[in-house]
Amino acid sequence: MKLVTWSLATFHATVFVLAIVLFAYSRDALGGGLSGLNTFVGLGLFVALWATTYVTTARALEGLDLIGSARDRRGYPRRALRWGAANGMSFLAILGIVALTAAVANTRPDQVASGILFPALFIAPIALVASAAVGAAVGALFGIIDLGLFALAGLTGEEAEGAL
Amino acid sequence: MRWTGGMELDPNVLHVAIRWLHVAAMATAFGGAVSVLALSTRPGVDSAGAVVAVAIRYEWIFWAAAGVLAMTGIGNLAAFGAALLGPATDWGATLLLKLGSVLALVILSLPRTLAVARMSASIGGNAHGSVTTLRNLYAATTAAFAVILALAIWLAHG
Repeated sequence: MKLVTWSLATFHATVFVLAIVLFAYSRDALGGGLSGLNTFVGLGLFVALWATTYVTTARALEGLDLIGSARDRRGYPRRALRWGAANGMSFLAILGIVALTAAVANTRPDQVASGILFPALFIAPIALVASAAVGAAVGALFGIIDLGLFALAGLTGEEAEGAL
Repeated sequence: MRWTGGMELDPNVLHVAIRWLHVAAMATAFGGAVSVLALSTRPGVDSAGAVVAVAIRYEWIFWAAAGVLAMTGIGNLAAFGAALLGPATDWGATLLLKLGSVLALVILSLPRTLAVARMSASIGGNAHGSVTTLRNLYAATTAAFAVILALAIWLAHG
């Protein structure tokens, strides 16, 4: 595990969630939304998002030296877009499994196939495409934000080349 | 732990556990920033490398604490449920200010981590300058944490 990967992954997961919470609360829509969420499920979803974000960030940074190479930093936003899409799909997959398990547990056995599994088969591909698009957009946005923050840390142009 | 019959956990116990974790993460992150600031205040040139090494350790812990704080902070808000006061109230305006401050601290902490990582790789060159930079970075972090803590205390007891 590398510090840059750990910090970037946690940064992405926490800023994403905090921005949503801040936006929802400023619109007075947070209380109702959170009250419908089981505490364990809420904590579990955050841990799941944190984990998928860590794995995808680690893959996005594979072979890149963001501290030492300006060329690697220039190539980073494209990878952020691609692995953002992967993160969106991974998180949706976990969300889908949790939702399906809960739905199956609360449905009469004779209605599971027609009422849960069959509709899920139709919805899953569309949901995966949508989650990939959202993930890619969020990843691209973070790629741009990260570049700005790299510059703020003094990692600009070629002068940082060979720092590590 | 108290159980309310069957296998169902008392929600109050869960909320106290989440709150405890939130406070512990805040204490770790804030206390760590104060420690690095104290270490970087008057170090000898020889100890500059040691201060940077401690700062690197702190950065690992800081990001773990940041994730735990975000997770448990939302858990704390969820405990209010529909009774959560709106943003138009004094309490709500303070909560908005706290959330905004936390978001700003997290965003501005990434350049700090990257700067410390960069420093760690090139500490031999300008040890004194590195320690001065560290002092400024952790003074700003400590000040931000102090503001957030004051807002949190006001929200809990104000």
